[in-house]
Parts: sequence; C-alpha cells; structure tokens
Amino acid sequence: MAKIDLSNISHSYNPNDANPTFALNPFSMTWENGKRYAILGPSGCGKTTMLNIVSGLVKPSKGNILFDEKDVTNLITEERNIAQVFQFPVIYSTMTVYDNLAFPLKCRNFSKEKIDERVKSVSDTLRLSSFLNLPARKLTADQKQLISLGRGLVREDVAGVLMDEPLTVIDPDLKFRLRRNLKEINEQYKTTLVYVTHDQNEAMTFADNIIVMDQGEIVQVGLPKDLFERPKTTFVGYFIGSPAMNIFESEVSSEYSVKINNIEIKTNSKLSKLKDKNVKLGIRSEFINVVEKEGENTIKASLTRVEDFGNFKLLTANMDNFVIKSKVDRELPISIGDINLYIPPEKCCVYENEKLI
Amino acid sequence: MEKLYTFLKYTFITLWTVFIVAPFLWAVSTSFKDFQSVNSKVTYIPWLDFEPTLEGWRVLVKSPARGGVDIVEPYFNSIFVTCTASLVSIVLGTLAAYALSRFTFKAGFIRNNDITFFFISQRIMPPIVLSIPFFIFLSTIGLLDSLLGLVVVYIVLLMPIAVWIMVDFFNRVPKELDETALIDGCNPYQAFYKVVLPNSIPGLIVAGMFCIIFGWIDFFFAFILTFTEVQLLPVKVVALNSSITPWWSLSASALISVAPLIIVAFVVERYLSKGNLSGALK
Repeated sequence: MAKIDLSNISHSYNPNDANPTFALNPFSMTWENGKRYAILGPSGCGKTTMLNIVSGLVKPSKGNILFDEKDVTNLITEERNIAQVFQFPVIYSTMTVYDNLAFPLKCRNFSKEKIDERVKSVSDTLRLSSFLNLPARKLTADQKQLISLGRGLVREDVAGVLMDEPLTVIDPDLKFRLRRNLKEINEQYKTTLVYVTHDQNEAMTFADNIIVMDQGEIVQVGLPKDLFERPKTTFVGYFIGSPAMNIFESEVSSEYSVKINNIEIKTNSKLSKLKDKNVKLGIRSEFINVVEKEGENTIKASLTRVEDFGNFKLLTANMDNFVIKSKVDRELPISIGDINLYIPPEKCCVYENEKLI
Repeated sequence: MEKLYTFLKYTFITLWTVFIVAPFLWAVSTSFKDFQSVNSKVTYIPWLDFEPTLEGWRVLVKSPARGGVDIVEPYFNSIFVTCTASLVSIVLGTLAAYALSRFTFKAGFIRNNDITFFFISQRIMPPIVLSIPFFIFLSTIGLLDSLLGLVVVYIVLLMPIAVWIMVDFFNRVPKELDETALIDGCNPYQAFYKVVLPNSIPGLIVAGMFCIIFGWIDFFFAFILTFTEVQLLPVKVVALNSSITPWWSLSASALISVAPLIIVAFVVERYLSKGNLSGALK
C-alpha cells in the first residue's frame, strides 16, 4: 500500500517531432493510500497512458512519480511492485489457475506456505477455488478476467492495483457483484484501487473520487455528487449524467441573471465581472420542475415527447431553437402541449468559455 | 442437393488420396523389384506378379562385393546438419523475431519492417546468386567440404524462415501478455522465456517444421559445397543413378529419405490436434 504522487507529469508519444502532440498534458495529482479512484473519460483521452505511466510500462516525457515519497520514475515495472489488470483477460495459458495466481509471488520468491495461503484467500474471494487445478485456458472469458484480477490482488504489499476497464468482458450480473467485491477487498486490505472506465455508472458506484479526463487533460476531480451537481466544464456536464446536462447559449443580463431567448433566468453566480457577456447556462434535467403557472425563472416551452422509463419520465420540450430535457416523477400527469418549466437558481451552473464560474 | 455435395466431396477426397498415395505405393512396390521385374511387363502384386527381392535396399548399405553405395553415413550427416542448423536457427531466429516484434529499431531510414524484410529477402534471392560467395567464404575459413561449414550455410538459409514465421507469430501475441509478466515481477528475459515462449509453442513448431523440411531437402548447396569428405543424403541419392537407372534402389532411397519427414509430420499433427496449443489469450 502506498500513497501515489504524480507530479507535473506529461507525456507525448512523439516527443522528438517538431510539434509533439501530447497524450497527457502536464498535471499533478495525489492518490491517497487505501482509497478507490475512478478515471473516467471517452476513448483516447489519455486514461490508459496515465495508468501505464504509473505502472512503469510507459516512461513519462516529463515529471516524477512518487510512491510514499520515494521517486520511482526511473524504476522499471518489475521493481515498482504494482498490479495492473487489462481490459481483456491476460492469462498464462500454459499454466493452471493455481500457477497463474501464484506467479507474481513465485517471481518474488515467496515461501510455498505463504503462496498457498494467499492463493487460497484470493481464490475464495473471487470464487475460483474449485478451478485451481484446471488449465487456465479452459475457463470462460469472465473467469479468465477473474484470474487477471486475482493476480493483481494476490500480493498484499502491492503499492496499488490499476485496472483498465477490467469488467468489459464480464456479464452485467457478475459485474455488479465484482464491483462490490472490489470494494470489499479495498476495505479489507486497504489497497489503493485505480479503476479506468468510460462508463459513468461504474465510476460513480465504485469510487470515492472520480477523475474526469478529456483530450489529455484532467478536467475535474471530485466526489460523484460534485461531478453531478457542479460540473466544472460543459464537457463534464455532457459526459456525466443521463441524459446529459441541459446547456443553453445565453447572455449576461444583470449581476446574477442571464437571458435565454429574452427570458430572464436568475442564478446564484455573480456575473458582473465577466468580460464576455456570452455565457452558457447549464442545468441538470433532474432539477427542472414542471409548474402550473408562469412566474420567475420559468420557461414556457412546448412539450414534444414524453418517454416513460419506468421509474421516471423524461420530457423533451422545445422553446424556439432550444431543447430542454426534464426528468420528472412518473406519476406526474402530463400531456403534450405547452408547459411551464421552473429552473431553480441554486442549481444553475454558468460557464464562461466552457468553464464553470 | 446435399447428397450431391457429399458425393462430390467424397469423390474429390478419394481422387486426391489416390493422387497422393499412388506414387508412394509405386515406390514401395518398385523398391522390392529387380532389373527383370522393372524392365519387363508392368507388374503390381508381389509374389503373384513378380518375385520380391531386397536387392534394391541392400545396395544402399555399403557392400563392395555388390558395388553398392553407402547412404547410411550421408543419412546421419543429413540428420546432424539439418537438426543442428534448425536448432540454431530457431533459437537465434526466435530471439531476433521477439526483438523485432516488441522493440522499435531505427537506423537512418531503416525500421523494424525493413529489417524483417531483409531477412526474408535472403530467401527471395535465387540460391545460385549465393553459391560463389558461399564457396569463397567457406574455402577462406577452411570449412569447405565439412559438416560444420554446411551447418553454417544452412543456418544462413534457415534463419530467415524462423524469423519470418516468428515475427508474425509474436505480433499476434498481445503485448499485454509481456506487460502482465513485467507487472507480476518478471524481468524482461524472464517475461520472454517464462511467459511468452510457452505461449509460442505452436509458432515454434511450425517454424521448426519449415526449417527441418527446407534443411533436409536442400540439394543445391550440399552439392556445391561438398566433395569427398562429407556428403549429404540428397547428393548421395542422385549419385545412385547410373547409365542403367536403378529404379529399385532409387525407390528404396526415396522412401527412407521421406521417412523422417513423415514421422515429424505425424508427431506434430498429433500434438497440434490435441488443441492444447490454441485459444491461448482471450
């Protein structure tokens, strides 16, 4: 177990070119010992590069990595004592399940008793005990992924377990159980877990802290609640939550309010100092309510679609060029036509140049 | 329609089998004939059509009284040269292929693919182009007409095959396998021989088979680079021929020349068909 510090890390895969492109822009971050982190972002945003830098498979172009204040930047992977699980199961197909799980300990010359004990404990947790003597290649894809995971968990002293979309090949049902298992393992062994995913639900349910990345940049680090309610950029607003955040082009009209389509909307953000009067207003569809009468902070729009999701209804309404989505209680009686939508000021996020004010 | 398909399928398989097996049967039958049986009317069945004799086989073992030729020594020479050269080629070729598959090399405009192509280009070249350089090379270092000299030349000929097959094979082994081994605590060499190599047995077998086949059947270099001290099997078999073609001993020698390859093929086929070697990674 270790605290992992990433200090001024940046990485380019073509550093010698005249105009190198950066897979990771400079950033610093600390992963506290024993916590669960999720790295969330679309494909190609640099998530895997970040993991590979921590595990030592990739040497960063700039910056230092510290495990418990010890600089490991120049250490090769085998000397870092880190575990990594890849998206697709990687097993040693010529070995048995037992030998697969024991391999990391054998490489580090643990005693036979210790290996036995650890393999037993991990295989119990992952429910692989009955397969231990089978050749690993005979198992199904999700069992193979469990082996990959098991090899990561078998070392107690590992600095951290890095997982790169490890549950992609696993059935939804088992996925749910495994995520809970991982949480239990984290609580039991206090292992630092870092989990890369592009699935926000996975990230939200798994992690203490979520790191959102886009185009090689870390756009927000925070608790699931922060990401949901106060997305730092419009990208986070789009990326997190289903449906994506409602984002409207608007214009600053007074100290605390903006105008959308000549309708004045009050917010809790102080806007008077902004140079550019063109801003964006973001509001989650969960916070928009249907009200009977027009009034302050209401928008009159025509409801065009109602989708029943079972536990809620998703309304899609149009106001000129704007599309507004609102999630409402499924019991709410509603019919196609004009409706009034109330936008609570405290839930409004105002973005200047795509960044939260 | 389906019946027609089955019928055609079996007809084709039968014809093909006859096509493949007939020459062997012909060679087996001929090897037990004597001059009379071969040169008179066409005969098929031993004892009935003709009286079988072991004469064709006997002349292959040195027996001056019968004016035979000794192919036993060339036979073992061939086995030694082929096996040694194949083994060295596989070991060196596999290491080269792994490096070409996993690391990036740059020298001027030369990249990994160019190096791989360089290896393959050695086989594209007509062998005759290499005959004079090889001759001069071996005579300079004093290895002309020696087993060691042949081994050296055969390594040059066989290693490109090993590199070519293994580069392709390693490229299909996901690099995550090596990375996992590194993460699990292997150093790069251990990752190679503990993890990547055991997973590459099918590739090694294929490469090994090709090396053995190409080494075993080579006539050209064996003919040019040897004279009296050392001879290899293909050269000796050709030397059996004389003004009267000895079909019987040629058939016998042809049969024992193919025998090792048939044995190798059967062993490998059994091993491959166990299914132990496939489905390694996902």
